[in-house]
Amino acid sequence: MSEMWQQAMVEAFRETTKRVALFLPKLLALLTFILVGLITAQVIRFLVLRILKAVRFDQLCERMSITPALAKAGITKPVSDLVGRLSFWVVFLLFAFMGIDALDLPATAKLMSAIIGVLPHVFAATVLLLFGLLLANFFGEAALIAAVNAQIQEARLIANLIRWGIVIFTVAMVLTQLGIATEIVVAAFSITFGGIVLALAIALGLGGRNIAKDALERRLRQKKPDKDEVSHI
Amino acid sequence: MTHEVAWRQAREQLHDVGSTDILVGIPTFNDAKTVEHVVKTAVEGVSRSFPHASVVVVNADAGSQDGTPEAIKQAVGEAIPTVSVQHLAGGMTANPFTLHRLSETGVPGREQAFQAVFTIAAELGSKACVILDANVRSIRAEWMELLLQPVLEKKADLVAPLYCRPRYEGSLTNSVVYPLSRALYGKQLRWQTGGGYGFSGELAGVYLAKDLWGGEAARPWIDSWLATVAVAEGCDVWQASLGAKIQDSKQSGGELAVVLAQTVGAVFHFMEVYQDVWESVGASTPVPMTGPAYEPSTETMPMNIERMIHGFRQGVRDLLPIWEIILSPETLAGVLALGLVEEEEFHFPVSLWVQTVYDCAVAFRAKVLHREHLLKSLAPLYLGRTASFVLETRDGRPEDVEDAVETLCGTFESMKPYLIERWRFQ
Repeated sequence: MSEMWQQAMVEAFRETTKRVALFLPKLLALLTFILVGLITAQVIRFLVLRILKAVRFDQLCERMSITPALAKAGITKPVSDLVGRLSFWVVFLLFAFMGIDALDLPATAKLMSAIIGVLPHVFAATVLLLFGLLLANFFGEAALIAAVNAQIQEARLIANLIRWGIVIFTVAMVLTQLGIATEIVVAAFSITFGGIVLALAIALGLGGRNIAKDALERRLRQKKPDKDEVSHI
Repeated sequence: MTHEVAWRQAREQLHDVGSTDILVGIPTFNDAKTVEHVVKTAVEGVSRSFPHASVVVVNADAGSQDGTPEAIKQAVGEAIPTVSVQHLAGGMTANPFTLHRLSETGVPGREQAFQAVFTIAAELGSKACVILDANVRSIRAEWMELLLQPVLEKKADLVAPLYCRPRYEGSLTNSVVYPLSRALYGKQLRWQTGGGYGFSGELAGVYLAKDLWGGEAARPWIDSWLATVAVAEGCDVWQASLGAKIQDSKQSGGELAVVLAQTVGAVFHFMEVYQDVWESVGASTPVPMTGPAYEPSTETMPMNIERMIHGFRQGVRDLLPIWEIILSPETLAGVLALGLVEEEEFHFPVSLWVQTVYDCAVAFRAKVLHREHLLKSLAPLYLGRTASFVLETRDGRPEDVEDAVETLCGTFESMKPYLIERWRFQ
């Protein structure tokens, strides 16, 4: 009895020691990956910031209205700083995932391949989002200036409708690109967009019938609004 | 491309014509109704003032469907060689960004028409070249002498027109283009446009040699940079007092914001090109004049001041986020304070207006915003300044309006160090 107990104890100890001995290098590999990832990510971030500073990237973003667009969204940090942070986290997460993969756990076995499979979609969605936000800002601004110069009282409303219309459309495209609830997004977008158009049509038909009639009459009969006869140039 | 095709088309029609003294250029597009009078008057004026000079008439047509080129040939007759080139055909192309806009003349691709005329003038070795709009009803035979004599006898390079215009007409020119260009380049040229210009053969060559016919430079309409380039290149620029300008306007240049973006954008663009020139220029000097002494018109055009102030106030209310990017904090504070003033007491100070224009020029250069947006957002500020100008001068004599313009020019000149400082260190 005592012998059997002793043997069981020794075997359990051996097994555990063997498992620990097998796991420790993997853990060490994870810690090494994290440490190397941290250092590499910091170096990459430093290099990216230096390069962006050298090519005057922040000034370029200012000119392209990216900085003002981000400021409106509550992001006040320089764009180069954002890109630097992004590069840090991309590099660090890559190393971290490699470390997790090195653990060889059943749960994380296909983690890397899954992440690599998703990356192109995430990249495309990010570009789409950035482009959409820029477009929304550009057309919103253009509409605001045009409406103010035409002395339309609802200039800001028109500009916001255009800006947010493009933003909503962009978000719907981004979600579709990421494959998140594709059917729901398409249905929700169709219902919302269709609803807005229908609401506007009803509102114009019921409330603004006379205004629309006057505007059409003015346009079709070439009746000009009361403007100055003077030539400015 | 345009110059080669234009010259090829001209050569086919000018078999035995050698060098010419005077070239009369007429850009046209469906101008059969008015062009006959213009051509006959021009030919009469040239024959009367320069009887011994050899003359060629060049019509650069944009594809008229009403027989304009034929009407010109008929009006000129057999005595003077006449050339008709299609400036938007046979390989000559217009900048797509400029096709949508028409000048007062209504000629599409007006830049290409000028380029074709300059090319033919250069190839024929013309000593002087006059370009006339085909729809100017007020043209007189004396115009030819006024536009050509300084070139032929006084070695002038450009003779720019100066018209007697009703009060407040050309207020954009008088409140921005003229005072700003005068402060920049030091020439008291009124920067009026259209109707007719006189050029020397050398200046035609300068225009052709410069990079003005494509890219960013070709976006503003040609009338907005002809004088600027001549002045900045150090050419001898004169002014001809031509009296009234009555023109059959096919299009008044479109809405105010577009006109403003075109004209002011051209001045700002050439500020970048000729930075080395204007930075070193001090006080302005008068340019030589030809023709009767300039007198301000007693005629007044109706101005809707209430609408202008309303436009300005709406700008203050809605365009604040954009103006915050363009204007310096001091300028913006001054502008915002005006948004609260009653109409009767509305006064846009001259110094604030000058500061506003200079801030916009600096912002244009720094590209803090899309350039067209920047320029168009200036329209409500311009309306505010114009309303204030009208309120200040509407009860005065015509001379008072001229004095007010002169004061504005003086302020632009005295505040030039502000521009230079911001331009250099922005």
